[in-house]
Amino acid sequence: MDLFLQQTVNAFALGGTYALLALGLAVVFSIMGLINFAHGELMTIAGYTLMYCGLAGISFVFAVPLALLASMLAAVLMERIAFRPVRNSSGATMLVTSFAVAMILQVLFQNFISVRSQAVNIPDVISGSILIGGMVIGTNKLLAIVSTIVMLVLLDRFLSKQKYGIAMRAAAEDFAVARLMGIRANTVIAGAFAISGLLAGVAAILWVSQRASVDPLMGFTPVLKAFIAAILGGLGSLRGAVAGGFLLGFIEIYLAAFLPAELQEFRDPIGLGIVVLVLVMRPNGLLPAASLKAEKV
Amino acid sequence: MNKVIVAGAALAVAMTGTTFADTLKIGVATSQTGGLATYDGPVIEGLKLGVDEINAAGGIGGTLIIELVQKDVRSDAAQTAIAAQELVDEGAKVLILPCDADPALAAISVVSSAEVPAISTCASSPTLPMIGGDYMFANFPGDNVQATVSAQWAYDQGLETAYIVYSPDSQYTSMPLYFADVMQALGGEVIGKDTYTLGQQDFSAIATRIANMDPQPDVVMTSAYEPDFPSFIKALRAAGVTSQVIGSDGIDSPTTFAIGAAADQLVFTTAGHPTENSSMAAFDAKYEATYGKESQTVFNAIGYDLAKVIEAASLAAGPDADSKALRDAIANLENVQGATSLITYKGTNGMPVREVTLIGVTNGERKLIGQPSPNPAIIPAPRMQ
Amino acid sequence: MGQPLLQVRSLDVRYGAVQAVDGINFDVEQGEIVALLGANGAGKSSTLNALVGLVPTFSGEVIFEDNNITNIRPEMLPGLGMTLSPEGRRVFGTLSVAENLQMGAFGLRDPNEIAAAWDRVFDLFPILAERRNQFAGTLSGGQQQMLAVGRALMSNPKMLLLDEPSLGLAPKIIEQIFELIKTLNDQGVTILVVEQNVSMALDIAHRAYVLANGTVATSGAAEELAESSNLQNAYLGGA
Repeated sequence: MDLFLQQTVNAFALGGTYALLALGLAVVFSIMGLINFAHGELMTIAGYTLMYCGLAGISFVFAVPLALLASMLAAVLMERIAFRPVRNSSGATMLVTSFAVAMILQVLFQNFISVRSQAVNIPDVISGSILIGGMVIGTNKLLAIVSTIVMLVLLDRFLSKQKYGIAMRAAAEDFAVARLMGIRANTVIAGAFAISGLLAGVAAILWVSQRASVDPLMGFTPVLKAFIAAILGGLGSLRGAVAGGFLLGFIEIYLAAFLPAELQEFRDPIGLGIVVLVLVMRPNGLLPAASLKAEKV
Repeated sequence: MNKVIVAGAALAVAMTGTTFADTLKIGVATSQTGGLATYDGPVIEGLKLGVDEINAAGGIGGTLIIELVQKDVRSDAAQTAIAAQELVDEGAKVLILPCDADPALAAISVVSSAEVPAISTCASSPTLPMIGGDYMFANFPGDNVQATVSAQWAYDQGLETAYIVYSPDSQYTSMPLYFADVMQALGGEVIGKDTYTLGQQDFSAIATRIANMDPQPDVVMTSAYEPDFPSFIKALRAAGVTSQVIGSDGIDSPTTFAIGAAADQLVFTTAGHPTENSSMAAFDAKYEATYGKESQTVFNAIGYDLAKVIEAASLAAGPDADSKALRDAIANLENVQGATSLITYKGTNGMPVREVTLIGVTNGERKLIGQPSPNPAIIPAPRMQ
Repeated sequence: MGQPLLQVRSLDVRYGAVQAVDGINFDVEQGEIVALLGANGAGKSSTLNALVGLVPTFSGEVIFEDNNITNIRPEMLPGLGMTLSPEGRRVFGTLSVAENLQMGAFGLRDPNEIAAAWDRVFDLFPILAERRNQFAGTLSGGQQQMLAVGRALMSNPKMLLLDEPSLGLAPKIIEQIFELIKTLNDQGVTILVVEQNVSMALDIAHRAYVLANGTVATSGAAEELAESSNLQNAYLGGA
């Protein structure tokens, strides 16, 4: 039982991180129909910010907000420089653009920082563990769960209470009409990118605090997971992205934890098999964007 | 008209002729970008240092200038095969291939049909020369040899129960299977195994499983490398596991020493250590003088080894040797003094005999544990996947 | 009377090679209700969408008061005093009624002005006040149309553009909507309405322009057009 509970804590922690990542993709997708594969590079930028702060002797407490700021700023610049010129192009054009942005950033990291993975100093507090009810829980697991909850609550408050948050939901539903209301397209899109940058930054801090290093290609795996989670939840649906992220986390952890040893080698194909199965049963994902109409946000 | 063509052809022949006499062209098809750049990059730095040193002294044997021709293969297997072919077409007589066995093996057909010897920068899978054939060489202590050294050390410390965590995704990351073989051959016990995926971020499920074992394993062995290894050991320690952890050369990197408390008392095998007055200490000094920074990884020295091996083979084969003769010369090298250790290919299938070094991490510092010779009787046979 | 509130000069709209609007001219005076009539594909909606910048104007000019608003960015319009209630209503279905109205007042800063806008819309449409916390997507078609008009009124426009306000509604509801248009006009809002329901539109409009194949086929006072017996057959597809 203890083992099950502990693995469930692990699943919540991982699922929460995936949820933040998927949410970052979904926020932008819902507004402008772009799947931003350079989302992972925003994480890398936050990671490098942590690294440079460490080298400069800036304490972790200050490094975290700086890293968040860096990924937000990078996201807004990314939109301004790369995505605005192709805003009205087809989804395929924007997708290819995002791949190009990701690759260009990777090459820049490799050439101007280092091809080698760089150590990031993480306070030992985060690497430690605490005892709760006889269970050993890693502090970074708790950190992941708490940050996920805080981010989800903040985002929900913003989208349901703030004028600009409501405007983003309006724009996500009908961009042209939102503009007719006087909601500026540039502002909404820049806002969506800033939020996705913030989410990428928080996810990056959780991610980097687990691995204690950052390398130019660091963003690839998380963006892939985020993409799977977003599809699983229903592309374009924010609630779906959160649900998809948690489901993916639970699938991965429970399989790794409870699949018989002789099947462990096939863990990934089995996990993706479950994802495909869910999509066969619910082709539009767990909580597709349209289903929102039936429930109070 | 005809005369012009004939004259031109003659000139061309003359030019290539002189080129052949004075320079040895080495084709470097390695990863300047992508996942393997972490390893290939430092090796090529060391290789260049070695080559510049040789050329500054007038070339190999005072006459033969080494020319490096580099192509980025972007850590991609197909790209490696293409680059290898291009380099052979450009007249390379020796090829340098990426650090991992899989892309290196992608160039097999090019290497064997052109009969050009190829050396992987730092692949350590003993199957590489077995699959690669006569023209494929490695430049690193084999996985099975490293595992023998680390298992023997663990067993001698009284650590008799082992848990291994490996990834079937690559040859290198299945090194713990050798470790398990040796442990069992010594009389120890393997009480559990787990697999992971390359690039896996989250090891909490595995860590929690190990933490819930009773009794706890004496030693946990993995050949995971960056970025998987730091995640793994942090997850393991956070879950409350205090067992000895043993790793391998892939984590001989500054990142490992920066992990902090979680990596304390970690032990891993690698290819060398700059003990006082050693060849590696001398290399490190040269490196610092050349690049203006400290060498941060043994893979710099490994690159220098590569230059020394090629120099020795070329000296043995003579300045006019063709690539086939160079291959035979490499295969017969004995006790070449490299930066990390003495290197011998004679009597092997292409997997060199070199020293294995055991390193311990104490408070983020590198401590030499020993450079023991493995007992040949218990070195496991290369495992084909 | 001065210059017209809205002047459209040689407006030309193309979708690739397709000419949707072919050099039309028309004016809307302050305080008028003007109807744009025509069969499906005559260019009515293209004209409206070009006026508000949702589709690009190929050539020609649109002047609103003293501003040249040709190819304006749609988000600038409410600030100038013009809003559009789009075809098919297009309320934000996942937002509540109140949130839809709040978006309509997006550009307003003055709290008193905002409060007045809420009062006015809830006065006109008591049903919206009743259902303010309901998702707009769950309203009936007629209620959604009221919301769409209410939303367009929230910015206190001088001029309201209505695109097919009767589309898909029951006859009784249509009457209500047209009644409402008159009320708004009485309150001083200038209105340009695009309609396929010709008789209803001519009933409330002062003047009308009949479009056919992207050009103005005929125009004049609403009463005169209503009396012209061949209007239906000639321009409106006999419907």
